[in-house]
Amino acid sequence: MRKLLVLSVLAAFFGAAPACAQDARVEAAKKEGKVVWYTSLALTSSEKVAKLFETAYPGIKVEVQRTGSQRILQRVMQELQANIKNVDVIHTSDAGHYVLLKEKKLLMKHTPAGVDRFPPSFKDKDGYHYGLRATVNVIAYNTKAVSAAEAPRTWKDLLDPKWKGKLVTAHPGYSGVIATHVLALVHLHGWDYFKQLAQSKPMLVQSAVDPSGVVASGERPVAVNGGEYTFYQIKKKGNPVEIVFPKEGVPLVISPTAIAIFAPHPNAAKLFTDFIFSREVQQVLADTEGLYTGHPEVKYPADRPKLSELKLLLVDPEELEKRNEEIKTRFVEFFGA
Amino acid sequence: MARELTVTLRPLPSRLEGLDRSAPVWIIAAAALLLLMLLPLGWLGYLSVSGEGGLTLAHYARVFTDARLQKALWNTVVLAFWSALLSLAIGAPMAWLTARTDLPGKRVIRGLVMASFVTPPFLGAFAWVMLAGPNAGYLNKLYRGLSGAEAPLLNIFTMPGLIFVVALYTFPYVYIMIVNTLELIASDLEEAASILGASRLWVALTVTLPMVAPAILSGFILSVLQALALFGSPAILALPAGFHTITTQIWALFQYPPKVEMAAAFSVPLLLATALLLFLQKKLLGRRGYAAVGGKGGQRRQIALGPWRQPALVACLAVMACAIFLPYGILAKAAFSRAWAQPLTWDNVTLGNWSFTFLSISTQTAIVNTLELGILTACVGAGLATLLAYITNRRLIVGHQLLAFLALAPVVIPGVVLAVGLFIAYTRPPFLLYGTLWILFLAYLTKEMPVGYSQSDATFRGIHPELEEAGRILGAGRLRVLGEITAPLARSGIIATWCFIFIGVIRELSASILLFTPNTKVMSVVIFDLKEEGQFGAIAVLGLFMLAVTFLAVVLMQTLLGRDVLGARPSGGSG
Amino acid sequence: MPGVSIRGLRKRYGDVAAVDGLDLEVKPGELVALLGPSGCGKTTTLRVVAGFLAPDSGEVWVGDRCLSSPATVIPPERRRMGMIFQSYALWPHMTVAQNVGYGLRFSKDGRRGVPRSERDGKVTEMLRVVQLAGYEQRYPGELSGGQQQRVAVARALVVEPEILLLDEPLSNLDASLREEMRFEIRRLHETFGITTLYVTHDQSEAMVISDRVAVLDQGRVAQIGTAEELFERPRTRFVAEFIGKTNLIEGTAERSDIFVRGPLRLRVFDANLTPGPVVLSIRPHQIALGPASLAPPSSAGENVLRATVLRASYLGDAVDYQVQLDGGDLVLRVAGPVTRRFRPGDAVALTVLQCSAVRL
Repeated sequence: MRKLLVLSVLAAFFGAAPACAQDARVEAAKKEGKVVWYTSLALTSSEKVAKLFETAYPGIKVEVQRTGSQRILQRVMQELQANIKNVDVIHTSDAGHYVLLKEKKLLMKHTPAGVDRFPPSFKDKDGYHYGLRATVNVIAYNTKAVSAAEAPRTWKDLLDPKWKGKLVTAHPGYSGVIATHVLALVHLHGWDYFKQLAQSKPMLVQSAVDPSGVVASGERPVAVNGGEYTFYQIKKKGNPVEIVFPKEGVPLVISPTAIAIFAPHPNAAKLFTDFIFSREVQQVLADTEGLYTGHPEVKYPADRPKLSELKLLLVDPEELEKRNEEIKTRFVEFFGA
Repeated sequence: MARELTVTLRPLPSRLEGLDRSAPVWIIAAAALLLLMLLPLGWLGYLSVSGEGGLTLAHYARVFTDARLQKALWNTVVLAFWSALLSLAIGAPMAWLTARTDLPGKRVIRGLVMASFVTPPFLGAFAWVMLAGPNAGYLNKLYRGLSGAEAPLLNIFTMPGLIFVVALYTFPYVYIMIVNTLELIASDLEEAASILGASRLWVALTVTLPMVAPAILSGFILSVLQALALFGSPAILALPAGFHTITTQIWALFQYPPKVEMAAAFSVPLLLATALLLFLQKKLLGRRGYAAVGGKGGQRRQIALGPWRQPALVACLAVMACAIFLPYGILAKAAFSRAWAQPLTWDNVTLGNWSFTFLSISTQTAIVNTLELGILTACVGAGLATLLAYITNRRLIVGHQLLAFLALAPVVIPGVVLAVGLFIAYTRPPFLLYGTLWILFLAYLTKEMPVGYSQSDATFRGIHPELEEAGRILGAGRLRVLGEITAPLARSGIIATWCFIFIGVIRELSASILLFTPNTKVMSVVIFDLKEEGQFGAIAVLGLFMLAVTFLAVVLMQTLLGRDVLGARPSGGSG
Repeated sequence: MPGVSIRGLRKRYGDVAAVDGLDLEVKPGELVALLGPSGCGKTTTLRVVAGFLAPDSGEVWVGDRCLSSPATVIPPERRRMGMIFQSYALWPHMTVAQNVGYGLRFSKDGRRGVPRSERDGKVTEMLRVVQLAGYEQRYPGELSGGQQQRVAVARALVVEPEILLLDEPLSNLDASLREEMRFEIRRLHETFGITTLYVTHDQSEAMVISDRVAVLDQGRVAQIGTAEELFERPRTRFVAEFIGKTNLIEGTAERSDIFVRGPLRLRVFDANLTPGPVVLSIRPHQIALGPASLAPPSSAGENVLRATVLRASYLGDAVDYQVQLDGGDLVLRVAGPVTRRFRPGDAVALTVLQCSAVRL
């Protein structure tokens, strides 16, 4: 099955693209030999994408450096300060980062082919960054420990004292997905929400990927946030996990990607960026990784609600960037670490 | 007198004729040491008081007034104190049982304590998450299954849980100190008490205990120092529970945007605290660093435990179960399971974790980096330590005492603090080392120097200076003597030094976590990263690999030295 | 064969002066013992002569070369000396042959390097001399203390040094072996005739082995002379007490040869005393004991005293008496023959045959 997928991707590529321009760029990229990708997409998903690219373009390696969105920004800024030019493609789930990076003129303008048909929220009007994938924050619970009747249905339900000691939350200081979630809920219910939530003493994990593992193992039966695509993946593997899309709405997280202005392998970077925005790869993201994308031709599995069916809570990237410090500080203030 | 008249007076020899050609070598070694340590610490101190408009104490003010930071300080004190106390409670009785009584299976116990000594504490912390996480932990599941209770028996994500795990891997320090002391004491004093009618316990409490009191206190202080500097265990166990220690707080201050001045200001009190503690420890034990108990170790008769033999053995094994058997077991299980929390049934068994881990490019790079750094640091470190120990032991230059002090001084600096200093010093001109393996190399070299030096020092103390003098009077120059006489005799000691440093490097986390970049990751950092993604299977695989490499080095050292890491001859018993 | 000349040597360790103005002349081919209690500076002196320590002031000359001075110290490897250490310092990772032959390779500063073909022969020959023939391939760890010591001696002698230094080489051996080795060393010295400095704290050893003994006290030479000179005519209180047993009596010198203490009046032979306080030293065997009734009448030149026996200890080859002088509380120790014995309470007459007096 997977082989077929890969073959179809290859076929699409070598069939569809205009030969000459493509070849020149591929040659240049092959000369560079690799592309360095700082990505906050879950490791398994990131590696899958990398493998697809490497198979399509033998001779160009993808160096996957996966860590949380906030860490990625930290790395990029630290390396810059030390005059280290290492990263080619920057992909995080914190839209605010790109406001910052664009402001500091650290991004290269590049528009991947076909992206003009994406919804406006997936595009930067100046052409510096584009939304690679999207997910929503949801509640999840372990079906062995919690029955469907008892399960929380709204964000507010989580404040019920019966959940004391049974919750797990990821951290906005690490994850862009979670930073978005926090801001969205602050808009919804104010900081008091988190103050109350903290009193239930949830377990603190870092990555938005982590709560799915915690819930699946039964360590904590209920996750108060987390990337929906991670819960979807783990459920598909047969773990006793169920997802709840709270009635108040789910914070939408569009994860942008961009090329660094100082990218040491600019051609490979551009090639890679084009690749990941192609219909084939975006379809892979939707099919097996449980992600939403901006590509209009992507078909989603039947067992997933469409984005249009969900009540989405939107967060302004500029506000996210401006209030980033506040989000992290207040979260730590309430939850301790 | 006749002789004087016939003498042809020669002019007094010029300076050059008597000059020892090997002098410059010594000077260079001294200079290198100065540069390695003073630069980072200098920057650290400077940055902690530098602000927008020049020197300021604002950072320190914040450190001591900010409620969050105060909490971190308090948590650290609590952790250090209680884990040291627990280490004492575990280590002291075990040391007494091993060194003084007829406990069965002593060799096994010693070996297990040694295994605990070389196990990286953060791996132990991981394992205990899998064992005693309140809901998914293996032990809790067992308990719930057997007793039908709802609530868990153990919750490792608490301060007591953290204290417990830290104590499991710091008690070997106490154990070593006390065992070494007990082996120096002849048992006549204790026999005298026994003859007068005192019971075994009474003898232990009233005769043995006071004699080893300085070693006990010293071991306590060492444990406190270890606990203060730990990063991995608190990060794994405290952060999910919502509390910080100084080390995790300093690390958190490095998140974007980094507040390096605050981190510096936070580091300095930690540094002062460790310096004070070490000063206290030295005072207690005098120059040598172990209890100066008079006596050549004479006859040591073993105390018969009688009916307490088996229970004592069981108690020791129970401790080692907590430190070794259970954690290693659960790591092995997780390494081979798809889902670590599920029982090990046939469909749960997989080699997928192994392929995932070892086929990943970043892991491969990390393993290569770790081994490269381990070997490089061990070679340079052993060479430098040997040179320095030789200089100080043979008093070859003026101020050699200062040199010895400098070689041991880094033990005062917690890994995190050292990393902050190195980060500040080497992310700016003239030495822009951040982002390369060299900054990690410097950190490891500085951090492992005390261990390397101590071992080398012990090596050269064991080589009588007269052995070298005999060579010189027969006509061999100083360097030749070094090569033909000293080196062969010191060889196994030097290799032991190498191994000590190597082991220290591959498990280092607290400095690496601040100094790594994606290209310069090491194994411990990869493990830490994987934790943040909840990839327990991969963590277990890498952890087991790390342990395997460590034990290989230990076995090598043991074969060469003819004694184990803890200083005892494998044949055991009285000297 | 050169001699050794130590002039005005001073060496301090911190506040302590280990050697404090030491002068010593060792004639070519002579064996001089440096004798003294621990802390007297003998080992320090030896190590300065060997070149392991630099003098604070003073010089060490060997023949016509100045080897040590505060400005310069010729390193040990260029001094053409041999040394036998207290710990023997045999290299455990080399065989006996390799140990002994080690120094034969080097040729500098007038020392002849021995070509490889000859080395084995020399080693074998030297081992034969020290009665260890056939031990070439053994390791030091396999040898007894006495054998190790002989290897050390062989190693030092085979390179034909100009000066030989020995640092308490016998102190690690048991008593009977020590006695045997004393004669061995003396024999070797007489065979090879090397100028030798021998450090020891054992006076009988010093007296057996050496040509002259230098008694060291607090970093200087208190007296140097033959065993007989030191024993019979000690020149300081320290030497008198250190060498052999003695009775020390404090008193005053009246004339150039009269010693007075209270009612006690003695004539000191061969003395040149200036009036003033002195200490009298009388060895126990320099007093003859006889029954009081048979004593000659007391006269100025006879040194006859009356006393009562306090205690008599039979030692097998002599009797050790403690006698109290009449008319005072002075107690003397006297050595008497076993043939004529006295018991406690007997009245006896002491004849002081010889004594020496030193200034206080």
